[in-house]
Amino acid sequence: MSCNASVTCLHLSSLKGAEKAPVHLMPCEIEHTGHAQVSQYFTATTKENKKDKTVSFRGRGLKGQEISCPQGHTGLVLKEVDRHGSDQEDRKVKVTSVFDKLTYWNLETPPTSDDIVVMAMDWPELAEAIHGTIED
Amino acid sequence: MDLKQFEADNSGSFRLASRIPDVCRTEDCCLGVDEAGRGPVLDSGPMVYGICFCPVSKKEELKDLKVADSKTLNEAERENLFQKLDEAQSYVGWALQILSPNMISTSMLQRTKYNLNALSHDTAIGLIQYALDSGVQLKEVYVDTVGPAEKYEEKLSQRFPGIQVTVRPKADSLFPVVSAASICAKVARDRVVKGWNFAEDLGEMDADYGSGYPNDPKTKEWLLKYLDPVFGYPQFVRFSWSTAQTLMDSKAVPVHWFEDKRDKLSFAAQRQNNRSMLSYFSASAEGDRAQQTHRFFSERRLKSLKSL
Repeated sequence: MSCNASVTCLHLSSLKGAEKAPVHLMPCEIEHTGHAQVSQYFTATTKENKKDKTVSFRGRGLKGQEISCPQGHTGLVLKEVDRHGSDQEDRKVKVTSVFDKLTYWNLETPPTSDDIVVMAMDWPELAEAIHGTIED
Repeated sequence: MDLKQFEADNSGSFRLASRIPDVCRTEDCCLGVDEAGRGPVLDSGPMVYGICFCPVSKKEELKDLKVADSKTLNEAERENLFQKLDEAQSYVGWALQILSPNMISTSMLQRTKYNLNALSHDTAIGLIQYALDSGVQLKEVYVDTVGPAEKYEEKLSQRFPGIQVTVRPKADSLFPVVSAASICAKVARDRVVKGWNFAEDLGEMDADYGSGYPNDPKTKEWLLKYLDPVFGYPQFVRFSWSTAQTLMDSKAVPVHWFEDKRDKLSFAAQRQNNRSMLSYFSASAEGDRAQQTHRFFSERRLKSLKSL
């Protein structure tokens, strides 16, 4: 990944030790980076229904469903490695966990195939169709 | 009163009812409606709506059960009175609707706001309808109210034609059937609060949260102790109540729901679209330059990622 002068490096070695982790895409921005009691509060109260999953977060009802990463793609959870000096434009990240599926949550509305994140998963297949090599 | 089903899944709304006494299906009956756990001071545990009904001819006998003075009773005394009502099951019937704090929070905080009055009225109507559907020959209904009595009385009278509806504040001190309903509701709430099963996996949770009223120092202490910076509280707490909101505003991390952002976005987009007619006559390609990303990508919020 690069633009102009700065470069962001991904330490591929970190990929080896990375474990699969459950990932949730929330319909809100939580001003917090770090540890949270997800299994205790969130996973423990999630209900698995026939058509979707339901849970509440801060008293608001969420409806979600699980989707898979597009074929040939892996989800990565990245963490930035210490920035020693702020004058360094280059940045380093490592992989803390991987995922091949995630649960996305809508605020109150049931999940459907029209949801943005579901539609976004169309791109890799379409890109392949547009840009992929054609065998003669 | 078998609350096992609710204790197993305490995140929604749950109805519980006694057997319908045979006489209630043949004789004219009166019915009282009251609730427990509603008032503006409460912010945890369930809200319980209760109805209690008996034949009009048995009004005096109900009065003799001394259910009339329910306001100043303690938990043990309430249990006692409920026992008496239970013993009178040959002519007294009851039904309850237990609204979990989770259901209250999500209803009141949802985008199409469902306020507490509407929730209360609908619950009461549901219970009265249940009595009618069960064959109770209702002729008189007495309801306790916190909101404006006249409007509520009119609403219920229209909803239940042929029934004499009386809505009064402090109806539990005026009509024994309402007092009886109040006892049932309060006892159910006491038991639910006592037996609350925390779905959250929080290890050894201090079950002593006091009464659930925020002016109870035990409750205040509990609320402070169990505030999680990300999640706020377990589902036992009503997030829609200002006590919980205030504590979270000051001690929990801020959370911004995308509904607001999206509304702001569409408003800005609207302004952009309201271009002057004259702009269509100018040869400038300014409008075109802004449209660099294909709609396929913007619709899917896909962006070329250049940096973190």
